[in-house]
Amino acid sequence: MSSLIEGLISAIQPVNLGALLAGTTLGVFAGAMPGLSSTVGLALVLPVTFALDPTPALLMMISIYMAAEYGGSITAIAIGVPGSSPALATTFDGFSLTRRGEARRAFGISLFSSVSGGVLGAILLMAALGPLARAAIAFGPAEYFGLGVFGLSIVANLVGDDPIKGIVSALLGLLFFTVGLDVLTGTPRLTMGTTTLMDGLGLVPMLIGFFAITEAFNTVAGGRRPTTQKGDLGGTLPRPRELIRLWPSILRGSTIGGVIGAIPGAGATIASIVAWNEERRISKTPERFGKGIPAGIAAPEAANNACVGAAMIPLLGLGIPGSASAAVLLGGLMVQGVAPGPLLLTEQKELVYALYAGFLVAVLLMLAVGLLGIPIWIRVVRLRPSILMSLVVGISLIGTFALRGNPYDAWTALFFGLVGFAMLRRGYPLVPAVLGLILGPMIETNYRRALTLSSGSHAAFTESPIALVLILLAGVSFVAPAVRNRLVQRKEERS
Amino acid sequence: MKTLGQNRHFLLSGLALSLVACGTGEQTNGEENFPSRAIEIVSWATPGGPTDLLSRALSQVAPKYFDGQRVNVSTRQGGAGAAGMQYLKGRETDPHVLGVFTASGTVNMATGRIPFAPGDFTPIIRIQLDPFLIAVRDDSPYRSLQDFFSDARSRPGEVSISGFGAASAHFLGFARLLAEAGEPDVRWIAYEGSADAVVAALGGHTDAAHTNYNIVREHLRAGSMRVLGVALPITALPDIKTYEEQGFDLGPVHWRGVVGPPGLSEHARSDLRDRLLKTIHDPDFQNYMAEAAMEYAVMENADAFGNWMAEEVDDSQELLRRLGLLND
Repeated sequence: MSSLIEGLISAIQPVNLGALLAGTTLGVFAGAMPGLSSTVGLALVLPVTFALDPTPALLMMISIYMAAEYGGSITAIAIGVPGSSPALATTFDGFSLTRRGEARRAFGISLFSSVSGGVLGAILLMAALGPLARAAIAFGPAEYFGLGVFGLSIVANLVGDDPIKGIVSALLGLLFFTVGLDVLTGTPRLTMGTTTLMDGLGLVPMLIGFFAITEAFNTVAGGRRPTTQKGDLGGTLPRPRELIRLWPSILRGSTIGGVIGAIPGAGATIASIVAWNEERRISKTPERFGKGIPAGIAAPEAANNACVGAAMIPLLGLGIPGSASAAVLLGGLMVQGVAPGPLLLTEQKELVYALYAGFLVAVLLMLAVGLLGIPIWIRVVRLRPSILMSLVVGISLIGTFALRGNPYDAWTALFFGLVGFAMLRRGYPLVPAVLGLILGPMIETNYRRALTLSSGSHAAFTESPIALVLILLAGVSFVAPAVRNRLVQRKEERS
Repeated sequence: MKTLGQNRHFLLSGLALSLVACGTGEQTNGEENFPSRAIEIVSWATPGGPTDLLSRALSQVAPKYFDGQRVNVSTRQGGAGAAGMQYLKGRETDPHVLGVFTASGTVNMATGRIPFAPGDFTPIIRIQLDPFLIAVRDDSPYRSLQDFFSDARSRPGEVSISGFGAASAHFLGFARLLAEAGEPDVRWIAYEGSADAVVAALGGHTDAAHTNYNIVREHLRAGSMRVLGVALPITALPDIKTYEEQGFDLGPVHWRGVVGPPGLSEHARSDLRDRLLKTIHDPDFQNYMAEAAMEYAVMENADAFGNWMAEEVDDSQELLRRLGLLND
């Protein structure tokens, strides 16, 4: 405890506080800009951190990481475009609230949940760094396969009125993910002989295309309703009582974020979607999810911020980066002469505690920046759709290009914009396709890896209790909505 | 409100245009008075990864030796490096644009994944080696490469090793070792990165990991992992036997060096080499080398470096053909 207090004192030294404030502001910005993400934000400041001492460098990086996970929700709520992929699930209920003229309420819930999730993730990191790091690596190919299938089963809850169209959409996403070099053989797949398609179609161009560009086309075609009604000022901030009532959802979301975030390679996007789905599953009113229910914002936003602390577990405990953002962070640490690994906690105790304290201060700064920012976000909501959407398309395309310095990514985003618009017009839901693209690689490569290791025997999936439970849960999750509908129908017929 | 919106839109398009202009604008080559403007290091590697870090270390230290000009890293990822290489290739005869080339680049040339040959660039200087090694978890029964291979011989197809990629520099490094050991049936489990491969071995999902020293360094210090053998001597691991010392006569390497665009004059080449030599012997750069656990392996004769790259492509192709992984 005294080490933590020393860490807190260190974190509020002018240089360190300055680094945290700069990181938080930049992180919110990187998260909110469609195309940019925590990874891009971190990569941007990497050269800057070289000039700093290890503590401020580290604090700046973690505050960017933390704030970007919150920043993504701003765009998700304001315009229905996820600012970065972990905010995907926040669009479901967040943007619906905005449409009802309750944007302030949505912003308030997301900020409170992000802050709470961030704190809970940091507490998890402090309490269980060693043991959780060892537990996380128990996840092998069979378990990753199970997690991927479980994630994909959520499609059943997102298909809307026509299950067939939802499944077609998911299959389309799975087809898109196969483009690129196959990790296990190094063979190009569906690249049509070009090098541009070698690294695949990419999640960011797909999100930009499906949400930003499709919506722009929709606006032009007259399909987008104005975000707020006339004279509406975006509602009021949520009352403390409402926020306190959301605690169970925040706790559940943070737990899911904490567990999935600690598993290398799983990540905040999957965690937040799983959190949203679990919240819907245990809810007494699942039909209200996706239509603007507060718990549908609280759970995923708590989950993606809890992931930040959790992602530090394999990074600090084992020196293993569990996400693209953590990989950039590791690079920055190594340049500073800080080598994360099993000995870090004993050898560089001061730095580790400064980092713990930095997490707590970063979350507080995030709260401050968020509260100050809400009036600005509300102004974005009130922009006319024609102006708003041209801004969104411009910013998104620049962001997509900036991600890898590759103009081809902007073209991919336009391609997905056309595909998304065609799907929307014919009533195909878009989110199942995104889930297919995110989870496809996890499912396929780990399925094949598990079979290679087991000499082709499928027993690999039943011998691992974690994998078996996940696969069974996936089955239940996939069938449950259909069964529930059938039961409801029967009840109605009888009465 | 409307005019404000329009103004913003206008500003934004201006920003977009200027970004594009930075990317493709024609600049004079100006070999005379070199360097006449900022130096650009094109990075097509993963941000924060070892190759990206080398580019960034150069950009930090080099300005001192490039007459105070800025040295910027520009990211151009995509197409397994092809996007960045295409850009570098297009800056013909311009000594202000450089790139960090690696063993992964020559392997991608060998497999035909990227449509380039070493001759498409001007080799300048090889800087470092990042030797491969084979590591196991502390409770593994293996103590040496011999143990590992003899177990593989007694249980064909059941012993596994995780490593980065398929038909990658890592895979070929291991395939060469396997050929030396008489081709025992070991399963190569490909992962998205070297660190993921180490996770698999640490978690007990595979029997060993084929990786680089800097990734397992902390696990070696903590005793949670052990090294069976290193491809080339590693300063920090004086007691670990190399592949050669254990009877496997080869030194598969993972190297990184600097190349320029095609058609650099002899003068520009030696000028760049001299400046880069000073850069990499600067104390700040030496610090980076030590922190990143890289081994100096300077090859300052540009022609030798170029020939060596070309040979590596040929050798890799021969190996790939023998393994049935190359159809031409």
